[in-house]
Amino acid sequence: MNLEGPPLEQLLRRLTETPNAFLAEPRMGPHGSVSVPALVADVLAAFGLRADSAALARFQGTDRAKQRNPRMLTQILCWLLMDPSLRGKIPAPELLRLLFDEANSLAEKIPAKEFVDNDERREELSRLALRSAGLRPAGESKNVAEDRWLNVSSGERVRLAAASRAAEERARLIREALERKAAEESADKYSRE
Amino acid sequence: MRDEMDSEDAHRYPGLSAAGEHLLRYLREHPHAPIYRNASGHRLLPDELPALLAFADQVRDASIDPRAQPLAPWLRSFIAHTMAQTPHYRAYGSPPEQLQDLPSITRGDLARDVAAFVPDDLPIDRLINFRTTGLTGQPLLIASHPTVAARYLAFHQRALRRFGVELRSSAGDVGVLLVGWQQRCFTYVSVTPQLGECGLAKINLHEADWRDPSDRGQYIDDLRPEVITGDPLSLAALLAISFAHQPRAILSTPMTLLAGLRTQLELRFACPVLDVYSLNEAGPIAVYDPALDAHVLLQQHMIIEILDEQGQPLAPGQRGEITLTGGFNHCFPLLRYRTGDHAALELRAGEWVLAGLAGRAPVRFRSASGAAINNIDVTHALKPFALPQYALLQRADGSFSLAIHGIQNADLRAVESALRALLGEVQLKVSAHRQLCDKLVQYRSELGE
Repeated sequence: MNLEGPPLEQLLRRLTETPNAFLAEPRMGPHGSVSVPALVADVLAAFGLRADSAALARFQGTDRAKQRNPRMLTQILCWLLMDPSLRGKIPAPELLRLLFDEANSLAEKIPAKEFVDNDERREELSRLALRSAGLRPAGESKNVAEDRWLNVSSGERVRLAAASRAAEERARLIREALERKAAEESADKYSRE
Repeated sequence: MRDEMDSEDAHRYPGLSAAGEHLLRYLREHPHAPIYRNASGHRLLPDELPALLAFADQVRDASIDPRAQPLAPWLRSFIAHTMAQTPHYRAYGSPPEQLQDLPSITRGDLARDVAAFVPDDLPIDRLINFRTTGLTGQPLLIASHPTVAARYLAFHQRALRRFGVELRSSAGDVGVLLVGWQQRCFTYVSVTPQLGECGLAKINLHEADWRDPSDRGQYIDDLRPEVITGDPLSLAALLAISFAHQPRAILSTPMTLLAGLRTQLELRFACPVLDVYSLNEAGPIAVYDPALDAHVLLQQHMIIEILDEQGQPLAPGQRGEITLTGGFNHCFPLLRYRTGDHAALELRAGEWVLAGLAGRAPVRFRSASGAAINNIDVTHALKPFALPQYALLQRADGSFSLAIHGIQNADLRAVESALRALLGEVQLKVSAHRQLCDKLVQYRSELGE
């Protein structure tokens, strides 16, 4: 955050213009088209870095139900991080953390393409990438940059935490309602399975 | 009379007319009535009826194309809404460009946490459930709604129309008799508001549910139900009961109805006998049409994919696992649900059908000569016989055991000969049991092939 980086708009625009190839389905088994480990290796190479095969293997998803969304976000991050203003400015461990752990965390509740389609999510991802590079948006003071970051990231996390609590409560109510109905009776069908 | 009715009846039959009350009382208090052990009702609110009637019109007139590609507008919007609103599917992330980009789910996923499959934008105060133990014995509770239960009728009407039957029942008539034949069975009476509150009775043909077993035939003759529905086991039991009434149609769900039993039912009742492929998870999916030798699809908003063991979609005509997306249960939207049932999706005489439907994962048996035998071949070999229920097991030593349940009048020697013609001179034990199994695994092999 000590150094001034590119204008935020540059990264926002880059996200808006994410090519379809980076939004395609991550390859898992016979499904999907994008090899995420290969993509991550390309990003590392563009940064002049290399990762061992074990680090890259983590990006090879096997469970589409759980890993489709985070790996799609990894793909979007790969596109973002290839911006010339960021290249070479993030060390390998931080780069891998961003592409894997942060992607996993962000994708837990938010569809990956929201980070392309939604204004606030684009800003969150752009500021996250800049912070990982130790940069702040051009024209913003350190304080302003920090304040904006907290606004877009914490605000969303608070909202998601509340949504998560509400979801748990609703699931409990549904289970109780169904069990209660199970103990009583159902409704007519013209045939029974 | 209203005072005599259970106070819960107001919730079971909202808006019940005097004629409806009279009919319910007639069904319950008939001198030959069975012991009704439970209570249930349609639970439909009067203001829900117009939409239900409109739904039936749409189902009647719909043309059906079950293919996932290209993504139809309704399907694209269904996928987007389901992924945005339903906790389990939300975790998949963003809506895909094609359906096959999404993961599939199995019965095990549904069984783990049913609440995760109920959309968030749905009020839960009127949720009901359909419970099933499943053919694999995996218990499952399906979230549903009174309007969903009522929509079944529209698909049955579409199926019946195919065989020239338009339902005519109205106030005062008994529209449908649901028959079971089990040791313990949920039994009740109700009315169907979409058909002028005609009557519905779910009865158990098992003798224990009747004051006198001879009441069964008398009760059916007096009720004169327009349609009788049941599983093949119960319909086989129906054949053993003496009565004169001829329904206008018989519907068999959800197990495979063998041709032999269908022929017997057709001969006895002189009416169309429909074999409906129906699942608790998705409702009536298809009806068997002998002219096409396949099950013709019934739901216009149900996408059907046929997947191989790796989950890859197969081309029309290729046999694989029936996988469902869509449906009419808004409380339980399905995205690529692998049913565990197998068939090929084909176009026959201009209609999309499920060909060679087998309600179980295919099982490969080994004949005396070492040849592989598909379980469908076994089904074909046993077709001529009126077997209500059977299970064929091949043990690790290659020997076979055929257990026939609920047997009425099959010629066991002829059954054995038919199997031997297929399997060769194998060690084969055929056993017959009067008792039926609620659910059984029809085909099993311990050869590990």
